[in-house]
Amino acid sequence: MPVKIQNISILNKFTNSLKYFSKMFKCFHLKVLSARNTSSSRRCLSVFSQLLMQSSEIELVEKNSKQIEESLIKSLNSTTKKSLLEPLSDSEDISHISTYLKPTYPNFAAYANNSEVLQELIKLDVNLHYIEKKLTEAVPFILKLNFEDIKDHILFLNQLGMKFEDIGQLITKNPFIFKEKLEDLDVRINYLKFKKFDEIMILRIISKNPFWLSYSTQDIDKKLGFFQMNFKLAGHEVRLVATKKPQLITHEQEKVKLNMFVIRDEMGFTIEDMKEMILKTPKLFMSGQQRMLKCFEYLHNEMGISHLQILEEPQILTCRENRLKARHQFLKKLGRDQFDNKKPNFVNLLEMVKNTDGIFAVQVAKSSAEEFNLFLKSM
Amino acid sequence: MLVPEAPAVWNALKGLICIYKPAEVPVKKLRNIFIHKMCQELNNLKVRPPSGYVDIQGDPSKQLTVLVRPNLADNPLVVGPRYQEQDLPVSWSNYLGYNTSGVLLFGVKSGTKQAKHIRENLPTRSYRVKGVLGQVTDNCYKTGKVIQKSTWKHVKRENMDKFLSAMQAAHQKKMFELCGVDMQSQAAYDLAIQGLIRPANSKIPVIYGIKCVEFDGPEFTLEIQCVNEYEDYLMHLINEIGLKLHSTAHCTGIQCIRHSRFTIENALLMKHWTLPNILENMEKCEEVLKNNQGTSVTLA
Repeated sequence: MPVKIQNISILNKFTNSLKYFSKMFKCFHLKVLSARNTSSSRRCLSVFSQLLMQSSEIELVEKNSKQIEESLIKSLNSTTKKSLLEPLSDSEDISHISTYLKPTYPNFAAYANNSEVLQELIKLDVNLHYIEKKLTEAVPFILKLNFEDIKDHILFLNQLGMKFEDIGQLITKNPFIFKEKLEDLDVRINYLKFKKFDEIMILRIISKNPFWLSYSTQDIDKKLGFFQMNFKLAGHEVRLVATKKPQLITHEQEKVKLNMFVIRDEMGFTIEDMKEMILKTPKLFMSGQQRMLKCFEYLHNEMGISHLQILEEPQILTCRENRLKARHQFLKKLGRDQFDNKKPNFVNLLEMVKNTDGIFAVQVAKSSAEEFNLFLKSM
Repeated sequence: MLVPEAPAVWNALKGLICIYKPAEVPVKKLRNIFIHKMCQELNNLKVRPPSGYVDIQGDPSKQLTVLVRPNLADNPLVVGPRYQEQDLPVSWSNYLGYNTSGVLLFGVKSGTKQAKHIRENLPTRSYRVKGVLGQVTDNCYKTGKVIQKSTWKHVKRENMDKFLSAMQAAHQKKMFELCGVDMQSQAAYDLAIQGLIRPANSKIPVIYGIKCVEFDGPEFTLEIQCVNEYEDYLMHLINEIGLKLHSTAHCTGIQCIRHSRFTIENALLMKHWTLPNILENMEKCEEVLKNNQGTSVTLA
């Protein structure tokens, strides 16, 4: 195709100069032809005169201009087998020719019916719409891929034990996994095996955290080291945390540090407490610090829950403040807000927040769902 | 289980709905949550299958084969879910502030027009406003910093009632004055029998009724009927009441219990936002509107 386009551009120039010259010709008749001082007009002249010569009407052109025009026609003839100006024969198939898609808005839908790689990705349940919306920079990357390039990656993941649905999920979240070399992926898996992660653990890590395999072994080693250092974890504890919440390991370290600050300095837990927390609920170090602090403030200041009690069930800190508030105040209204487990009729903190409103109202508050709804509408 | 067709549900999803706004959630966020929830539920129903893709294969000079297969460009994985969040227009007819809870009207699709009409008709709203005597905060709400303390023991319920009724009378009198009629004249009577006199401008808050429904220790609860109010106005009103009673006060909670004819019983809690509940709520709201057609409005 590029050859043809070039031809078109040359032809366009040709016809333009033709028009331009025909105007000139009308005005000055043959004066211009005899004058022809400037080099640019000379070129126009040469092109025009060739046409005229074909009709064999005027033979007023110099020899050198003839040479130029002959070379031009030659080059035209050598690149195209036949003139573009002639109508196409019926037998020629031009259905594959289409206008270029605008590159400004990357869109998968335009290519979906023709691209093999996209069709294979759809079969894997990859959410291309998600990629288009959230990872726009990945769209040109995926469109340039061939299925042969990515086949081995998919088979590699499948050999590790991942189901095809999970692979689809992984590609949805991290399409840049295809940028990594297969040897690198192998090295990263071997690193985990070397660090005594067993196969089930590895499977869980790579299917829960789609970005894990995109980090080099040095990076992963540093990140695991960060948790081991800061929380004073033993080897098996690091493995436990990494398997329980693989996303935490590759989470932004600044944010983890911020959450550590909130828990240690603002809430007043010790480093040993934090270790216990990360082993029980690693998610805590990924949640928003404002939200966690608000929840803690309500628990500690309004409900009078001690640090020790929170430490027993650190999961409670991931609860939303609104939910906690509504349920606590309902219990308070019923006179059941007794959270001390040494006294009778105590309410377990986790039981209070974990289930739906209906179950909470009946089982924990010993009331009815309607009553609780009415209470919610009075808040 | 029979799954209903999504297009039919989508077509039915238009009109007014009445929901319960919890405090400390902005209306805008609530609207986004609502739209998200509706789209999610619609996409879980039986949606339109991908359209057909006509594929002509072969050499044009010889035999051609025509195939119709599902269009991959129309696959939900490629073009996204059938119902997307930008497709559902939702607007509110009354704006409740961040700290206010209570009845909120949403207009969905063609219901946005109804919501606009209701808003422009300046309907009265009832609020239950809670306050505490003895402390002033910098933003007149419980979240602010306490900047002043005072005694409150001398404030009795009678003082409160007396002051509130005087306040209500002053507001009513002001409306007649704005209309340019003498309170003792026939013209004033003619105006009064037409119903409430509303301000022509939607920026001026007017109180039609205010009374104390609960008085217990430093805490008290007022019930206020008004138009054109906003959250800050009600908060500062509590502050002013405290000062006029020779004490101080700040607001601890605002709840809208009625918006024109829509009461708190009609309101749907956030956890109940499912398609069947929403459609049922729409029907109820339609009924309320039908039963109260032709109520006139007098503008000052």
